[in-house]
Amino acid sequence: MYELNICHLYPDLLNLYGDRGNIIALKMRCNWRGINANVSNISIGDKFDAEAYDIIFLGGGQDYEQEMIQNDLLNEKGEEIRNAVKNDKVFLAICGGYQLLGSYYKTWDGKEIHFLNALNLWTIGGKERMIGNFVFECDFLKNDNYDGKIVGFENHSGRTYLGPEVKPLGRIVKGYGNNGEDGFEGAIYKNVYCSYSHGSLLPKNPALADHLISIALKQKYKDFESLSIIDDKFENLAHDTMVKRIIG
Amino acid sequence: MNIRLTFTIIITKFLIFMLRVLKSGGTSLPGKVARKIYPDIMKIISKDFRIIMVTGTNGKTTTTRIIGKLLDENNIEYITNKSGANLVSGVITTFIESVNVFGKSKASTALLEVDEAAFNVVTDYVQPDILVVTNFFRDQLDRYGELYTTLNNVRSGIEKSPNAKLVLNADDSLCASLGHNMDREVLYYGFSDEAYTGNSTVVNSDASICLYCKSKYEYSYHVYGHLGGFSCPNCGYMRPTSKVTCVKINELNTSYSDIIFALGPLKESGEPVSYNARINLPGLYNIYNALAAASLGHLLVFSPDSLVKAMESFECGFGRMETIQTNGKTIKVILVKNPTGFNQVLSYLLTEKQNTQIAFVINDRLADGTDISWLWDVDFEQLQQMQGNVSCFYTSGIRAEDMAVRLKYAGIHSDKIQIEKDYETLLNKALDAISEGQNLYILPTYTSMLEVRSLLEKKFGLKEFWK
Repeated sequence: MYELNICHLYPDLLNLYGDRGNIIALKMRCNWRGINANVSNISIGDKFDAEAYDIIFLGGGQDYEQEMIQNDLLNEKGEEIRNAVKNDKVFLAICGGYQLLGSYYKTWDGKEIHFLNALNLWTIGGKERMIGNFVFECDFLKNDNYDGKIVGFENHSGRTYLGPEVKPLGRIVKGYGNNGEDGFEGAIYKNVYCSYSHGSLLPKNPALADHLISIALKQKYKDFESLSIIDDKFENLAHDTMVKRIIG
Repeated sequence: MNIRLTFTIIITKFLIFMLRVLKSGGTSLPGKVARKIYPDIMKIISKDFRIIMVTGTNGKTTTTRIIGKLLDENNIEYITNKSGANLVSGVITTFIESVNVFGKSKASTALLEVDEAAFNVVTDYVQPDILVVTNFFRDQLDRYGELYTTLNNVRSGIEKSPNAKLVLNADDSLCASLGHNMDREVLYYGFSDEAYTGNSTVVNSDASICLYCKSKYEYSYHVYGHLGGFSCPNCGYMRPTSKVTCVKINELNTSYSDIIFALGPLKESGEPVSYNARINLPGLYNIYNALAAASLGHLLVFSPDSLVKAMESFECGFGRMETIQTNGKTIKVILVKNPTGFNQVLSYLLTEKQNTQIAFVINDRLADGTDISWLWDVDFEQLQQMQGNVSCFYTSGIRAEDMAVRLKYAGIHSDKIQIEKDYETLLNKALDAISEGQNLYILPTYTSMLEVRSLLEKKFGLKEFWK
């Protein structure tokens, strides 16, 4: 029987806007297929050994909580995270977690805060928040039965920019995305997937959830080929209803 | 005579009357108009009132209701904003409605529920003499900004009200901080360490770190959410001593909670005295609301008997938990608006042992919160235990599909989840599926509550909401 070990980093502090729904989605979609999924919660002061996990999740927090974990994340777990990224570990990072993987955050009044520098991307604080339902399109998810559209809710004031080796997760169809300027949303680098989509991201976008599970299983098991198909009636209904409402 | 004042009052009263005739229930517009014609109107008409305000995330309406009953018990005439018109304009409307054309009122006390995000602005017009704060939880963050912003808004409203006495929740580190190092009269209420031992872990807490030094709080006991016996191991900030305290819960069931509460002496030393009360609404969260109201009464030196009476006999607020009887079956409507409140409603549902039907009606309009991701912070997983006595979980409202997904991922079998967008069909189906003596629970968000209520009003003659 296949088994995946999922690590939820700072679940007690980085847990904004229902981000834990992503963990629930990964776990349930494994369970429904008879794949064993274990979730470990790792927070401040806990030992973090990236090799013990197949998928690592980092959510968003309020500014206050983000400041709180900064020291532990950068000084205690930073090296381990950078190595794991290099070694093709599967990551999902949302909003604040996405920004933290980058090199720095510059506040709108010019103060620069150093982040993990695991990915070549950076964020500039803005005065206005980019809030609302949004839709973007992921080429890597497109197939004969699926147009690759992802639907979620964004709520951020930081504008994120990607270095040349980091690819966007998708193209904005409706909404702001990374910075409200270049028409892109999120980031992909090796097996690291980043997005501003709260909402939660994975439950209503089962194709993306399965993509992450698949690449994690491929990393771990040589004989793994593909995931079995499960009933996504409710997921697709929720996804399609919102896409239709947002883009008309 | 102040002609401008009289003119404004007459115009506004006429507007209120017209809106009522048109049955629009629009309770904020007249206040807006009044403010336009006469910006200083509030200063003038509110000055003769003793003003009690109730704010916080959850429990404002219920707490206000219990306080209202308490004032009744003590024969105090008061005005109040009953229909949940709790923003600036609603508050103004309430005052204008109550005064005559010269700006005078028979009532001497104003009891106002004030939205926690609006409180700061409200204090620009009118300041409380006593402020009761229920708690701070995450609520509709897309509209209000972050939790700490809300807390700081309330704090700055308090600064603008230098004479206000404070009634605060000792178990909530955020709420209690409003009285921390504050040089004014503060009365705290809360649970004692032995009153409730149901919860041991603090999961997905809204406030797990110290507000002052950012260390992780330690808890000697935990009630729910982040409420409990918190203390900061680093800077020493901790739960203040409560004067009104729930010391024992005798019974929690689907209709009421039976508790023992202790009243500490207001001044000087002395032993607290305990009283028994049956709170007329179920759920742990309503014990807090009752304690908040009792604290207000204690501060005003009302008799303990009247506190107990008010707790036992108040009527609950608009949509907070309304009960409608039809052909021997009962429909219970309970408003849900944020994770902590929703979790409390779910743990209440778990006390239901009969065959029952549950409907979740989720909208995402501005008043509901346009971001429904908070549904993922609610522990619907606990409903798995109910799959035996619930044949169907209905989902409805604008975000019915999202709610269905949430239930599925909470481990509810897909066959038991039904999306039904038409309220009337939903109501008929669900009522058909239960027998006499059984309950149908409808859990709507704010705007879907208005819709569901108007259907119930049409079908069963529920009273109109501004009454």
